[in-house]
Amino acid sequence: MAGLNRDKLRAPSDHCSRDGAANADDVNARSTGWSYARKRQIFLAALAAPALIYVLAIAVGPMAQGFLYSFDNYNLIRPVSRHFVGLDNYLALWRDPTARRAVINTFAFTFGAVTLEFVLGLGVALLLWRDDWFNRIALGLLLIPATVTPLVVGLMFKALLNPEYGMLGYPLAELGLSGARGLLADPQRALATLIAIDAWEWTPLMALILLAGLKSLRTDILEAAEVDGATAPQRLQHIILPLLLPAAFLALILRMMDAFRVFDIIFVTTGGGPADATNTLMIYGVKEGLEFFNIGAASAVSTVIVICILVMAAAFIGVLKPARNRNA
Amino acid sequence: MLDREGFSLLARRLAICAVLVVALAPVIWLFSIAYKATSDIFASPPTFLFSPTLDNFLSVLRYFNLGALLESSLIIAIGSTALSLLIGVPAGYALARAESPRAIWLAYFFLIIRTVPAIATLIPFYLLMRDIGLLGTWWAVIILNTALNSAFVVWMMFSFFRASPVSIEEAALIDGCSDFGAFIRVALPSVVPGLIASAIFCVMFSWNDFLYAMFLTKADTKTISVALLSAYGTKDISWGTLGALAHFSTLPIVVMMILLNRYFVQGLTQGVH
Repeated sequence: MAGLNRDKLRAPSDHCSRDGAANADDVNARSTGWSYARKRQIFLAALAAPALIYVLAIAVGPMAQGFLYSFDNYNLIRPVSRHFVGLDNYLALWRDPTARRAVINTFAFTFGAVTLEFVLGLGVALLLWRDDWFNRIALGLLLIPATVTPLVVGLMFKALLNPEYGMLGYPLAELGLSGARGLLADPQRALATLIAIDAWEWTPLMALILLAGLKSLRTDILEAAEVDGATAPQRLQHIILPLLLPAAFLALILRMMDAFRVFDIIFVTTGGGPADATNTLMIYGVKEGLEFFNIGAASAVSTVIVICILVMAAAFIGVLKPARNRNA
Repeated sequence: MLDREGFSLLARRLAICAVLVVALAPVIWLFSIAYKATSDIFASPPTFLFSPTLDNFLSVLRYFNLGALLESSLIIAIGSTALSLLIGVPAGYALARAESPRAIWLAYFFLIIRTVPAIATLIPFYLLMRDIGLLGTWWAVIILNTALNSAFVVWMMFSFFRASPVSIEEAALIDGCSDFGAFIRVALPSVVPGLIASAIFCVMFSWNDFLYAMFLTKADTKTISVALLSAYGTKDISWGTLGALAHFSTLPIVVMMILLNRYFVQGLTQGVH
């Protein structure tokens, strides 16, 4: 979408001065000895500076600080005994079975949730493809789960899944599909249950992004295929999916970055339990840092998360750049 | 009789209705539980029929200082949204209009900042706020939320400004408009949907956040999401209270999204492409 006006955007920024039109900036530019293009650059830099400085100071600064903490034995309960321990926090992370479980759970959750959301989201997007009043209203209503406070989503499903009085949990327990203590208390099924909850919350968003991709497809190719007698599954497999690939990649990576740092719904439903079955890196890190005040260990966890997210972000940008160029 | 086309349309509509039921039933249940008596909530097997009561709202008023909670949430949401737009929109404009490839990399930098997990900034920021005495104030939450929300605004407005034509701005510059004037009077009015979308998302992120608020506020500055968690944690007040509290925490955001749906959808799709 943003790519549509690329040609216009490439118009030279020193348009005014080259144009030769009588213009106040031109006169000023001559009197100060600076070209208009240079002044324009300074103006744009001045507009961007506050946000850049702010983000560097408030987000990047603390992150760098956290990175430094990750090499220290630093516990707020015994702040005086803080000392440099090199990679010990990272090695401990590697050796601690709870932490290793958290790494596995985080990847399992991310992979499971994003795959499920993609499959369901693609289905919903295909259903909503035709642009009419019914689908527009449906899309609006469908986005409601994404606006519900994530904390509330977690609490809501915790109540719904309760095996004694929950609207979902009671029938599930009666049918023998969950243990007596419910899906969230079952070490075998708790993580899968959380994936399903995440899918309830975020499939609409996935569907929306894929729908935008579908709507940007050229209709003439699809019509040609239909005229040539391609069946609906054939069109999906050979035409729609390949063309949808860039949008699909973007949707997948965006959701991956979010799923990787999921916190709220796990924190309020299981808190990482039962028996670490749903303990993710975020839960582990927050517990280490803000419950046990083990700043060094928590900082090592968050550094690992940030590195994983940076890798995904690099993939995101790698997909985004060619996609933008193609649109141009 | 339905022809093949009509039948396929009917099948699609029914499928969409089924999807809508799955998506909306839990939300409807959440709000309906507020009107249930405790005995109905804990009925086993669960019942769909109940005689409505307002007891849960009364207990919310009894156990929570609702006014103060809403005040905290509002101040934090409005404060961080205003600050984020104030610094984020000009930066998004500057990056969209700058010619250099470095500008695009800066835009990506802002996007990545938004995806950084809360814990990476929260712990050092917590210590910083403790050291400068802002821990427990609204400012602590506003300052941190603004860092992440403004990064999001930069990215989103970058996309919107790139999609809006520069020719009118250039015409204004030729007519003697200053650079700043062209930005304020010509460029900004052309991206009003983007501004609305950015504001919606900032309000939603701040209002829905609880991790920052939980650790950075104290009893008299806590937000409604933090209170929600304590509603659940306490024994004598429970799911019914949660449903009643959700009327104040979740319903405003849901209503905002429904009313401003067009901008919400545009914002979500624009930021990606």
